[in-house]
Amino acid sequence: MRTSRTLGIVMIAPAAIMIFLFYLMPAILTGIFAMTNMSTATGISGGVFQVTQGAVNRLGPDMPELASGIAEPRFVIDEEGLAALEALKLKPGYAAELRGQHIGEVFASRREAERVIKALKDRPSTREVKQISDLFNRSVLNTRFETRDALIGNLEKLGFRLKPEEQDKVARETYTGWVWTTDNFKVIANSPDMAKIFLNTAFYVAVTLMLFNVSYALFLAVTTHYMPPATASIFRAVWLLPRITPVVIYVLMWKWLTWDNGFISMFMGQFGVPPKNYLLDNAYNAWFFVILINGFIGASMGMLVFSSAIKAIPQTHFHASEVDGASRWQQIRYIILPQLRWPILFVTCYQTLSLLASFNEILLSTRGGPGRATEVWSLAAYHTALNNYTGNLEYGLGAALALMLVIIGVILSLIYLRIFRYDTLISKPLIED
Amino acid sequence: MRILLDKFSKSFGNTKVIEAMDLEVGSGEMLALLGPSGCGKSTTLFAICGIHRPTSGRILFGERDVTSLPSQERNVGVVFQSYALYPHMTVEENIGFPLTVRRLPAGDIKKRVAEISALVHIDNLLGRRPAQLSGGQQQRVALARALIRRPDVLLLDEPLANLDAKLRLEMRSEIRRLQKETGITAILVTHDQVEAMSMCDRIAIMKEGEIVQIATPSEMYNDPRTAFVAGFLGNPPISFLKGKALSGAFVSGDGNFRLPLGSLRDIGDGRALTLGIRPEHFGPKGDLVIEGKVAFAETQGRENLYDVVLADGSVLRSIQPVRDDVKLGDCVRWNLSSEAAFVFAEDGRRL
Amino acid sequence: MADKTQTSANFSSVPVMLLLTLVSLPLVLMYAYLFIDTISNSEAGSLIPNELTLEHWRFLWETRPGKASIWLVTLNTFIFAGSITAVILIVSSMAGYVLSRLNVPARGLLLAGVMVLHAFPSVTLIISIFIVLQYVGLYNSLIGVILVKAAIDMPLGIWLMKGFYDTVPWEIEMAGLVDGASRFTVWRRLVLPQIKPAIMALGLFSFLTGWSEFILPQVLAPGSQVQVLSVYLASLIADDNNFDFATFKAVGVFYVVPVLVLYVFFQKHLMNIYGGGTKG
Repeated sequence: MRTSRTLGIVMIAPAAIMIFLFYLMPAILTGIFAMTNMSTATGISGGVFQVTQGAVNRLGPDMPELASGIAEPRFVIDEEGLAALEALKLKPGYAAELRGQHIGEVFASRREAERVIKALKDRPSTREVKQISDLFNRSVLNTRFETRDALIGNLEKLGFRLKPEEQDKVARETYTGWVWTTDNFKVIANSPDMAKIFLNTAFYVAVTLMLFNVSYALFLAVTTHYMPPATASIFRAVWLLPRITPVVIYVLMWKWLTWDNGFISMFMGQFGVPPKNYLLDNAYNAWFFVILINGFIGASMGMLVFSSAIKAIPQTHFHASEVDGASRWQQIRYIILPQLRWPILFVTCYQTLSLLASFNEILLSTRGGPGRATEVWSLAAYHTALNNYTGNLEYGLGAALALMLVIIGVILSLIYLRIFRYDTLISKPLIED
Repeated sequence: MRILLDKFSKSFGNTKVIEAMDLEVGSGEMLALLGPSGCGKSTTLFAICGIHRPTSGRILFGERDVTSLPSQERNVGVVFQSYALYPHMTVEENIGFPLTVRRLPAGDIKKRVAEISALVHIDNLLGRRPAQLSGGQQQRVALARALIRRPDVLLLDEPLANLDAKLRLEMRSEIRRLQKETGITAILVTHDQVEAMSMCDRIAIMKEGEIVQIATPSEMYNDPRTAFVAGFLGNPPISFLKGKALSGAFVSGDGNFRLPLGSLRDIGDGRALTLGIRPEHFGPKGDLVIEGKVAFAETQGRENLYDVVLADGSVLRSIQPVRDDVKLGDCVRWNLSSEAAFVFAEDGRRL
Repeated sequence: MADKTQTSANFSSVPVMLLLTLVSLPLVLMYAYLFIDTISNSEAGSLIPNELTLEHWRFLWETRPGKASIWLVTLNTFIFAGSITAVILIVSSMAGYVLSRLNVPARGLLLAGVMVLHAFPSVTLIISIFIVLQYVGLYNSLIGVILVKAAIDMPLGIWLMKGFYDTVPWEIEMAGLVDGASRFTVWRRLVLPQIKPAIMALGLFSFLTGWSEFILPQVLAPGSQVQVLSVYLASLIADDNNFDFATFKAVGVFYVVPVLVLYVFFQKHLMNIYGGGTKG
């Protein structure tokens, strides 16, 4: 037992490590990120406490006094400011007088503070007044505090006395890092945008699957079956091209076909139709081409699977049916199609998952447009988390979107394992050592 | 080298294939493990060469206990049913492989390969690949590969099953010749009784994981211990008649005929019995007359084969020198030599 | 495809050939013009070229400001695709053997895991992979994206290799063992040579998917020093200032030719794998 077991563990270790690091861990992390509000704004490695204008606005309704208070600048004559003033080496009288007369005073605005400074005996110049007043500026607005205690401490210094629950709320609203939340799922469940994207996805998967990945693939497999082998393999090779061609070029060719200076426009131009972008001019055309672009790629797998299944049908079946008087259509109907039941089921299952996950082609062709007409789920996840116009990448929401796909994928594949009798695929090792 | 299986048991999961089997193969002896498929003979062979580990019991090569040794350290040569030649290697590399993995110097390997391939008469094929060889040649390569490192024991797993009839005959004597020349202890696994009888010093007949009888071929043929052994050996096979014991004689099912047999003297009346009669003991010569009708007649060239249906519907087979006076449907009165008939109890035990 | 099957004499193949030619026409046309447009100019509004030119291939010797040199990008792409191939081949030929043949604990579970992963919408993991790579400092490096891409294609590789190992007769391995070879030697010297066609097929397949991969390098390694051809071409197309289809196509042809060459020569190997099902 031992030798093969040790060898087995050693030999599978690299694969296990790679899959763990770049497959399993990301999957788990997707789950974790989905429960946060991570975004460009929050960063991914924790945050600070900062009273932004946004935070002030959010605090407004519950704590109007505090909100308006912290939004205002505050000027406090304190030892810290005085020390800084002394360090500036202006006239020493300034610091002495401020310490003597005004220590501890709090001014609600720069104007009030500057009035006092201007009134100092040594008559500071306007430039110096500004310089000095800056040293005593103790506003919290837009100041970054590394910890919650620093934030609360500062607020207290400015005269805001907060109850513990108020402290919590302030801390929460001013925190710039990410926090745990289930809001992502609420957004997904409630947003009409998401409902639209869901319908888009269902439409895209169902139509592409039925029209191309199965029906058209079946058409290709059957027609090539009725050809001399050499011709058939040429056609199969042609229809495998979309899959083999790198996606960027493949989509480029479609753009050439559909854009306003492309093939269709030029062709239609011969008949006086003005050129237009057939890919993006309206949602119907966009969908038409999105499905065509993906369908041409998807058809190849079904074509190959079905072709080999047809090839597996004994020749005698065809001979017998012809002798029995079957027409070509009847032969397809009664000999070929019944034998393809499992391959069709397999391709359907397999390609459902592939289509759900695929977004390269849509991203490169319509980018989900026009508007968000052809935005599908996986593309929405990509756009939300990794690439959008507003520039605020919402990793948390994107991960939540992706997580839904991961969960669907796992559930479907577990079902498929059942359907396709996975257990017959493992055989016991015959060598016992 | 002597091989000893001591209380050897093997199960796969919950299925017990072999339980507490004892078997000894003498040094230089060639022993056949004979039995129908599924009787555990291949399992025994796999345990001896170390591909399977016994569930319990011991395996000894000479005095050395090899029970838990991996195959690599056992020094056994195996010829598999499919030969298992390495398709990507030439014949020379195939034969030399056991020495190559021991890191012998290339020159030595070459010399040994030349010797052994001369012994099995394939020295002219060394540059070829297995796919370019005929079945018999592949067989010889497999033999050479098994023998090249002078194993303690040679194991042959149905070595002739994939050959056509003529080659089978040739390889039968060839393997025996090699075994005798090298003096190696050998175990042959087969379901073909002719192979076992013609090639081996002794035969171990197996049934459902147990050895039913071990004996030399002629002993086993003439003195089978059970009905199973008697039925397994002999071609054309033995015929069985069902009946009862009645005052020192065998009486057929419907009482139509009676066969006084000395061996039945001590058997209680009414006990159910089976009588086994080999085809060569039913014919013109013999001490007991039996009447029946020829239901099947076939000539095999030198001999004729007849099936005779008795009055109770049971069938006796007869093999006789060629004669053309008996036709299908004829009624015959032929003789049976009573001392050559075997009597078996209901459980198959020989009485 | 050793084709001993004959088309039936009872049915003419002409109608189906015509039909299929018709539906294949758009595809053939697109590919034909992909090549024609790179070496010719045609008048505005016309589809028939009126002059031959090499001006669209300028990108080979002129590097545009702000863009990486095409040769650096090509080298990157070769490194990218080649490393992926090497990693996938080595790792999955070992793991596939273990799953096919060796006694390891929880073998069935491992295999099921691989199958579930294989059917996984792996591209959706890209978000957390992006964040993980940023965290471990492999963001914007070829190594990071190579490892990720190799890992994502790994389940398919393992699965294919397992299938091929399953076809190697057990007797070969048993013979090897009784001939005195260790389990590792048996794998290395006796079993691996039997599945050379599989290694060939998987290697080609991995190279091609690596060569074609777009979204992973786009997201995980967009920097111009580590750019690969797909990202280079996509950025060229996305750049609104230089809209020139003929140049795009020239770069495209430059990019696609290795793929087509491999495809033409090794079609049979590839058909097996694509027929067996891949992602996308």
